Amino acid sequence: MRHVPAAAFGNEGMGMSLPVIDLSSHEDAATSPGSEVERKEIAGRSPTRIAFDRLRKDPVAVICVVVILFFIVVAVFAPLLEKLFGVSTDTVLASTRVDLVTGLPKIGPPNHGFDPDHPFGVAPGDGTDNLAVWIEGCRTSLYLATVATVGSTAIGIVLGLLAGFLGGIVDTIISFFIDLFLTFPFLLAALSVAPILNERYATEPDKLAVVSFYVLVAILVFFGWMTVARLVRGEALALREREFVKAARVIGVPTWQVLFKEILPNLLAPIIVSISLGLPTFVALEAGLSYLGIGVTGRESWGVTINAATKYWETYPQYLLEPVLGIAILVVALNLLGDAVRDAFDPKTRR
Amino acid sequence: MRRKKALVAGISAAALALTLAACGGSGGGDDKSDGFTNVEGAGGKNPDAKGPAPEVPGAKTGGDITVLAPDPDDGPTSLDPAGLWSVTDNAIAQDLLFRSLTTWQQDPDTGEYTLVPDLATDLGTPNSDFTEWKFTLKDGIKWENGDPVTAEEVKFGMERSFDADTFATGPGTSYSKPYFLGGDKYNGPYASGAKDFPAIQVDGNTLTLKMAKPFPEMDYYGIFPAMGPVPLDAKAPDYGLKPLSTGPYKIQSYEPNQKLVLVKNDQWDPATDPARHQYADTFTFEFGGDPTVAAKTVESDSGSTTLVTNVEGQDYTAAKQAGNDQNMIVGPQPCTSFVMPNYDKVKELQVRQALAFAYPYEDVWSAAGELPGVTRANGVTDDTLGFGLLPPGMAGRKAWNPEIDGETIQYDPEHAKQLLKEAGYDPGEYEVSFVYDATTPQGKAGAEQRKLGYEKSGFSVKMYPYTAGSLYDVWTDPNNKLYKKINLLGTAWCQDWPSPATFLPPILETGAAYNTGNFSESSVDDQMNEIRTLPVDQQADAWGELEQKVMTDYQPVINVGYYQGIFGVGSGIGGFNNDTTVGGAPDYRTTYVK
Repeated sequence: MRHVPAAAFGNEGMGMSLPVIDLSSHEDAATSPGSEVERKEIAGRSPTRIAFDRLRKDPVAVICVVVILFFIVVAVFAPLLEKLFGVSTDTVLASTRVDLVTGLPKIGPPNHGFDPDHPFGVAPGDGTDNLAVWIEGCRTSLYLATVATVGSTAIGIVLGLLAGFLGGIVDTIISFFIDLFLTFPFLLAALSVAPILNERYATEPDKLAVVSFYVLVAILVFFGWMTVARLVRGEALALREREFVKAARVIGVPTWQVLFKEILPNLLAPIIVSISLGLPTFVALEAGLSYLGIGVTGRESWGVTINAATKYWETYPQYLLEPVLGIAILVVALNLLGDAVRDAFDPKTRR
Repeated sequence: MRRKKALVAGISAAALALTLAACGGSGGGDDKSDGFTNVEGAGGKNPDAKGPAPEVPGAKTGGDITVLAPDPDDGPTSLDPAGLWSVTDNAIAQDLLFRSLTTWQQDPDTGEYTLVPDLATDLGTPNSDFTEWKFTLKDGIKWENGDPVTAEEVKFGMERSFDADTFATGPGTSYSKPYFLGGDKYNGPYASGAKDFPAIQVDGNTLTLKMAKPFPEMDYYGIFPAMGPVPLDAKAPDYGLKPLSTGPYKIQSYEPNQKLVLVKNDQWDPATDPARHQYADTFTFEFGGDPTVAAKTVESDSGSTTLVTNVEGQDYTAAKQAGNDQNMIVGPQPCTSFVMPNYDKVKELQVRQALAFAYPYEDVWSAAGELPGVTRANGVTDDTLGFGLLPPGMAGRKAWNPEIDGETIQYDPEHAKQLLKEAGYDPGEYEVSFVYDATTPQGKAGAEQRKLGYEKSGFSVKMYPYTAGSLYDVWTDPNNKLYKKINLLGTAWCQDWPSPATFLPPILETGAAYNTGNFSESSVDDQMNEIRTLPVDQQADAWGELEQKVMTDYQPVINVGYYQGIFGVGSGIGGFNNDTTVGGAPDYRTTYVK
């Protein structure tokens, strides 16, 4: 849940990048006829632009982007892909695909050759197609992680900006809540909410599936916004004393405009970093919670498959490896990309 | 009536039998057959058996035995004699800790179990119509602290079984209260205003039990720890945490649902005990562990003196494929799992019959992690087993496998549709609904198969996931909000002793707690009462005939599998037996370390 690297970076890095940002955000103010051409050449590249240029040249980042794009394509075009491969998550009679004596598939791995109808094989026991479940699981993971990241980041930005910029009593209250939420044990909350929901929607399984998904998102957001809020608050505290902000306030720019037009653009880098490092955390959390049986219900999930597959590790290792590799590759790619993004934005690494 | 603890099983619940099952012994140590083993017939009685128990050939003393009872079996919550009514817990209590009026003795040569006196000098003396029983207690029986066991303490122990509030999970609700004179109104010695209970009288060393109706099987009921002594100063709720032992072992430490360590009880006198032994130095029970870890322990033989009470199907398959299954033994459990249509809601016989053809038996078992023909079986895997109520091996049982509309029961959607049509329903018109155990992927997968089978057979299906606890919470509670939504319920039942009288009434009698389908036909109730008054030697066959008639005329339940368990037995363990008298558990009495 904690994005320590991003927070650490934000605090130490911003001071040095500020002059450049000043230039980009206040081009009109920074005109000086004699050296205009010169300055334009330096100022022509915003820090974001510089960072992206650096990212493009980083082979690790490029590979990670390709990998992540692959997962995104799988998630977005899941129904199309399933059609393309001719697979589906529909239940079939177990005996049509599974050898009833052993409970293992009678087509495809582990005891038979590759089966083009089921490229990932079928599940032992009930014979559901593994590829279809994998694709749907990828969709669940990415969708949930994205929604949770966007939600927690948005809340974190708003509260962090308010606390840092307004200060005083507002800061005290928001900081108090940040500390309060940081002390809540996240797992305990997730564990206790699941049975309450199950009880409430026991007689409406269709609703339960939808509600449980968004409640899981809500729990992740609920316990995920604090680090972003702290990061943003710290930055806003420093920025609000800078000349361009003071100038804006002196000429009577409304507070919201100062917040979102003057301060926020300068926070872009740490926020992007925190997003890129938050995504993999949520992917892993979703799988973990599903493994524990308190994750999403009524949807396929890698965590659920892993839970079912651990018992078959010896007789049917592919069944366990597919979701495990899915999660591992996605999380590693997201993390490495997050690191690369941080390095790219970090002026200390600029030479 | 031992109910099985809800697992994921085919029916979606049911697994560890809670029932003192008593079926003839079988499944000896070298029984390695893979198919569904038939249980031997019920053992006889031997009122003259005397201690010490017959020696197990090759048995040695000494050594420490570890017993793993893996998840979902979480072992005893309390070891109070009055509350014990589950396969795992009773096996431990009856074999090692608590002596009672009677018990089972195993013949080391044939493996057969015989009912023998334990605390009593014989199997009791009934009067002519079985409404009064006299048991005389042996002298020289001692508690683990050296105090003698008195008849007053046995009376006190038996009285406690009437306390349906404190010991709701005990056998007293099914046998003490209905059969003993005035038992329906008596609530045990702890109830406020409790007076002396006149149905149990003590005269010196003799107990006289008065019954409200004929109870010819009181001697069998005597095997329960609830029919044994409890110190007069025992407190109701706490006694089960540190009960005093009368058997060959006593408790060294006990953490409920976690761990139980037993050491030898030096006050136990083998000369008074015709059934138990004291071979190993200690027994250590660990409950609720990881099933795969337990299976691996015996498969690799890393725990050579380890017993595992239940190996899961996929672990068994893995061991078999690796050629490492020599430490795994398949043994029968006298239990049957049922789907029970709510008799008030599913009124048409043809619909209930259609449900029997709509259930994809083997597919559900496979998806739920069971091995068809190994851990679950019925007429689908073996014609001779049939689809009746009584499990194989029960006295008086005849396999029920009739033709319904020209076809014997199997998964056949077309035939189910035809039966539905005869009942006046087009495909999709009739809705069935059930709950399933959603706490494991296997529970869900089994339910999905079941749903598919029903749908292909022309039913429309609603299924509800349940994660809050045992499915019995829903099935046995008419006020549960899910109970009101569903019309298919279930039960998995095991015998208490090898008599259909412990099986048919709990499932078929009006108002019985585990008659979850509310089956109620006054003619069937009358017939059950009639059978109870028949001469003892005719009862078994009469029950068998009643089963055939009820299944044919009403099909009140759908048999979704008889049980068989897989045990793990380390190479250093000798004298292993599958004790079917408690519903299929290792027989700790005969087990020793090689």
